[in-house]
Amino acid sequence: MERRVTERTTQLSEANQILKQRAAELETANHELDSFSYSVSHDLRAPLRHVSGYASLLRQAAGPNLPEESRHFLDEINGSAAHMGRLIDGLLLFSRMGRAGLRPQELDLAALVEATIHQLRPESNGRNIRWQTQALPPVHADPVLLRQVLVNLLSNALKYTRTRDPATIEIGCASNDGPETVIFVRDNGVGFDMEYGHKLFGVFQRLHANEEFEGTGIGLANVRRIISRHGGRTWAEGKVDEGATFYFSLPILGPQAVPARSTLEHSPPPPEPH
Amino acid sequence: MITIRRILLVEDDARDVELTVAALKSYSLGNTVDVARDGVEALDYLHARGKFAARPPGLPVVVLLDITMPRLDGLEVLRQIKASPQFKNLPVVMFTSSREEPDLKKCYELGVNAYVAKPVEFPEFAEAVKQVGAFWVILNERPPDPQPPQTSKE
Repeated sequence: MERRVTERTTQLSEANQILKQRAAELETANHELDSFSYSVSHDLRAPLRHVSGYASLLRQAAGPNLPEESRHFLDEINGSAAHMGRLIDGLLLFSRMGRAGLRPQELDLAALVEATIHQLRPESNGRNIRWQTQALPPVHADPVLLRQVLVNLLSNALKYTRTRDPATIEIGCASNDGPETVIFVRDNGVGFDMEYGHKLFGVFQRLHANEEFEGTGIGLANVRRIISRHGGRTWAEGKVDEGATFYFSLPILGPQAVPARSTLEHSPPPPEPH
Repeated sequence: MITIRRILLVEDDARDVELTVAALKSYSLGNTVDVARDGVEALDYLHARGKFAARPPGLPVVVLLDITMPRLDGLEVLRQIKASPQFKNLPVVMFTSSREEPDLKKCYELGVNAYVAKPVEFPEFAEAVKQVGAFWVILNERPPDPQPPQTSKE
């Protein structure tokens, strides 16, 4: 008996040792990631600014005397520099989403969706858009990060319905019992081929040519990263030319998280940040 | 010390210097810039010593300060300016590629007067330079001149 206790203690302390080492390794990796994204932020932006700067100055200095084709070349240089700038910003945002402290709290999802639609109004200017928001349950999530998820999903829906009149964008709750709440955003836009659906949530993965629909390929990667940090899942269904539906789930936690809650509850104080 | 209508640009990257000066030029502020190429030169300029011993006396209306520089970086220059009784009222604007939170936090803790992230696209970059230049050179009321400093003898 005593021998077994000793053995067990040794095993535990070894396991403890390994865990400590893992934690230290993780911390180092996090530090490296921090300095990596810092250097991306600073060092990649500078040469890009120079490319854009000198091309603009050249256009200013010689523009009127240049043949049409040469002016076009300069515009393309500027356009590419601007695009790479957006890629870098997107990558930084993606890395920040992975590191930002999570402060989940009870959220009024319906109000958050409404605010996001309002925020996106400039992008929908002059278009015929039917927003259809179903009753939405409150969810438990970080307000800033969930807002980012909604901005990405709704602005995607706006973008890929650009050719539709009217565009229909529906936000609803697919299920709200069991272990998780499932929320979806459905549009009647250009859709996608399910064969390539697995690529949708990858960083820099795009299913449309940039000339057709501009973008950086970061938005859905951010959505997946944020949702998986909440312990949820992301997936999509679509058909070419017949629209797409994007789903995300959030775990239902705690005793107060019973199905069929009323739309508004008082939020409990946010838990201590980790 | 009297204030002179000059901007001190502290920037180690020759291309950034050229682009900043070009942007100021297109708004007729091009003749108002002096350039220090790192933190050591920036302090030499303020103390009118070394390479800048012969410059006209007076303090610039604003210092545009990069963060990442060889020898002495922008954060250390900022710290020394704000800790100095002679220079602490001198407006300092960080002008940097970094939008990272730790940099922002450190600069404000050290008492920076403004923080501007250099836009990647030139039209926005030029606009930012113009606004910063015009604000500090033309619009802003400078702090009253402090008592004359002891000229450093070397």
